[in-house]
Amino acid sequence: MSRAALILLLGAAALLFFVLSLLTGPAGYGPAESLRALFSGGDGAAAIILREIRLPRALLGLAIGLALGAGGAALQGFLRNPLAEPGLIGVSASASLGAVAVFYSGLAGASIYVLPAGALFGAACSVIVLLAIAARSGSTLTLILAGVALSSLAGALTSLALNLSPNPFASYEIIFWLLGSLKDRSMTHVWIALPLIAAGLLLMFMSLRALDALTLGEEAAASLGVDLRLTRLLVVAGVALSVGAATAVAGAIGFVGLVVPHLVRPLTDRMPGSVFLPSALGGSALLLAADVASRIVIPSREINVGVLTALIGAPFFLWLVMRTRREAL
Amino acid sequence: MTRLLARDLTVSLGGSPVVGPLSLRLEPGEVVGLLGPNGAGKSTLLRALAGLAPHGGSATLDGTPLAQMSDAARALRIAYLPQARTVGWAVAVERLVELGRIPWRRFGSALSETDRAIVAEAMRLMDVGPLARRLATEISGGEQARALAARVIAQDTPVLLADEPAAGLDPAHQIAMMAAFRSLAAKGRSVIVSLHDLTLAARWCDRLVMLDAGKVAAEGAPAEVVTPALLGQVFGVEAVVSTVGGALAVAPIGLSGGPR
Amino acid sequence: MRPAAAAKGFRLAAVLSVAAAFHAPALAAGPARVMSLNVCTDQLAMLLAKPGQLISVSALADDPHLSFHKNLAGDLPRNRGLAEEVIAATPDLVVTGQFSLHNTTQVLRRLGYRVEEFTYVQSVISVPAEIRRMGALLGAGAKAAQLASGMETALAGVAPPQCARPVRALAYEQNGIALGTGTLMDSAMQAAGLVNIAAEQGFAGMTPFPLELLVKDAPDIVVLPDIMADAPSLADQIASHPALRALPASTLKIRVPAGSLACGGPFVVEAVKALAAARAGTLPCKGSAVQ
Repeated sequence: MSRAALILLLGAAALLFFVLSLLTGPAGYGPAESLRALFSGGDGAAAIILREIRLPRALLGLAIGLALGAGGAALQGFLRNPLAEPGLIGVSASASLGAVAVFYSGLAGASIYVLPAGALFGAACSVIVLLAIAARSGSTLTLILAGVALSSLAGALTSLALNLSPNPFASYEIIFWLLGSLKDRSMTHVWIALPLIAAGLLLMFMSLRALDALTLGEEAAASLGVDLRLTRLLVVAGVALSVGAATAVAGAIGFVGLVVPHLVRPLTDRMPGSVFLPSALGGSALLLAADVASRIVIPSREINVGVLTALIGAPFFLWLVMRTRREAL
Repeated sequence: MTRLLARDLTVSLGGSPVVGPLSLRLEPGEVVGLLGPNGAGKSTLLRALAGLAPHGGSATLDGTPLAQMSDAARALRIAYLPQARTVGWAVAVERLVELGRIPWRRFGSALSETDRAIVAEAMRLMDVGPLARRLATEISGGEQARALAARVIAQDTPVLLADEPAAGLDPAHQIAMMAAFRSLAAKGRSVIVSLHDLTLAARWCDRLVMLDAGKVAAEGAPAEVVTPALLGQVFGVEAVVSTVGGALAVAPIGLSGGPR
Repeated sequence: MRPAAAAKGFRLAAVLSVAAAFHAPALAAGPARVMSLNVCTDQLAMLLAKPGQLISVSALADDPHLSFHKNLAGDLPRNRGLAEEVIAATPDLVVTGQFSLHNTTQVLRRLGYRVEEFTYVQSVISVPAEIRRMGALLGAGAKAAQLASGMETALAGVAPPQCARPVRALAYEQNGIALGTGTLMDSAMQAAGLVNIAAEQGFAGMTPFPLELLVKDAPDIVVLPDIMADAPSLADQIASHPALRALPASTLKIRVPAGSLACGGPFVVEAVKALAAARAGTLPCKGSAVQ
């Protein structure tokens, strides 16, 4: 499949699920009525619902999907490892911990604008740690184990931080932070997350040429003029910004960055640079589809979207591990 | 006009000196063979010349000190083929070779006609043209080695440093690789290639440099360097050196018990 | 019986009678030492106990969201509802809730303590009976009767005037939970003459209510929760969701006094009055004669 065709196809899929997301919700409006309400403006109930509840949700699904898909592609490209992805190696969990530590401690006066700062810091720390571990030992096993350890530690500390809050609701919010949700997000969340995700995507994009060169290994890449330190910085900052911002507003959503690049890679020439944009678009399509499903699977209830991505992604991951078990881990 | 000139070059690994001080020169249009036992410092020397390891002393390329060159500028002048043959993703051979054009391409631009021509020529030279669409991880080790060598040739630099590129290749392809380096030299490029095959080195290189424990043990024409005495002293082997078809043929036949 | 034993028995009976004579006035006035283990029994006990009769209240008595009368708690020792604390305090009567600390209740009863359980009141109308019961237990019958009838009068006085159409309200708590049938809020809304949208749609108890439905149903009044200003949580964020802000200006957003619906007590009337006042302020009711 040609590169342009693949990108068009995935872009169309993302757009399709974006529209479906706008049309899904308990208010029960028909498609025509919903779209009319979205563009009509005004004060009517339908307009408020579309503008303040459904639109931010769909926009976040789109943006977060881009962030997670691209983050997975970038990490895999840099680590030369198809099993790396932000959720699996503990970046999302660390971002959650950062956000929780800042928000629930009241450090920032209960303003949700501060959540991203903590999340970015948590994400950056975890990526730095993981890259350091990966640099010392190239084996996949080490990387995955380090990710598991980091996830578990971050999860436990998150739970502790929540339990320490005097607010009675805090300890129940562990579900949100560890299994992500787009429920009742508002345009405020969109304004917080979108610029940071865009900045992160840009930084990751700037590292793509270096990631291609890394196909030949670090020494050959360096001899091709690639600045490895700068590349590492771009990847760390890019992943931290986009995954951190995504987690700050929607909690930890895992496996998107694992499943999508893997599905998309055989349709490209497999160079990290070629996998990046299709992964981002595919991530959007997948997350938006999961978010639609999370609202219709059980009629009167909503499931956390992170539950659905885990239900798809974890068996997929197991299958991947089994398949590559023959190769040295 | 010496292309590459190293004077009192030293390279340290983890604080202790591994290579040097040594002096080395490389002229345009010549193939220089780098010989020496395992651990003599061949790889370390090549890595330092490629700018991948810091070095003491001076090393200049066409008069400009290597240490002062930016990574991008150096990539246009020196290409390096590492000993470890890494292919991170199952990409087509053609894509792999195209990576050699990275220093010449502006970010985000597509391959130009010139790029494609150079890539095609490099693949022809290393006889991997028929493998262009095959995945680099699904070809034999020897084919992979040739594909990676094609990448380095496609980088189209005046200087080419290759660390044991012929290891693991069958005799025909070993000879083909050396012949490819010779044809590059004939066009004015310079090649330093480290080898373990003494016959190959003796028959295909203009000059040989023999390293022993980080220092130059001998340097000069093959006949001056590949002598039973030096082989016994540096490699600790008893070897038979004869002339076959106008060039040297070297056959190690046993251990010499000499100083090593 | 042998003479020595009979004499001993006689002396014991004499001592007991004297002791009983001394304690008789105290028993008539209620137990001397009362301990409350539950924030709701705290409220009634604090209102009805004589000075020095109540010896301990629960730790939650300090929580403004649960304890309407937190200012009455004063210096009373706080307890966490543990049996050890009861044993150390040696009360004559322990009052607690039915659904909290159930094991503690069994342990205490086995040890011979008198434990009276109060169910969590879900209806405004049944509160006066609870007040009277606490009064009887504490020996404060007259005071309780006063409070109870005062409450009944106040409730009767909140006679909802006729409005142009039924006024519809929804109580929307943290995490998007609405209060449906069987909750104290629902009962208070009824007493104030409001239609509870959650009950109307068949939701019972505390139930998740989609924000979209809230917007679509366009309530006249939205009752928002009290949130902790200095200890943030995501649950509290729902109260400031832009969709709620975007509701028409005619939609009133109100809060009932803190803790007024957390337990059954005379203070429930404050919540009913607040709801009735809001009702009077809505468009269909403006201009009608108001209580």
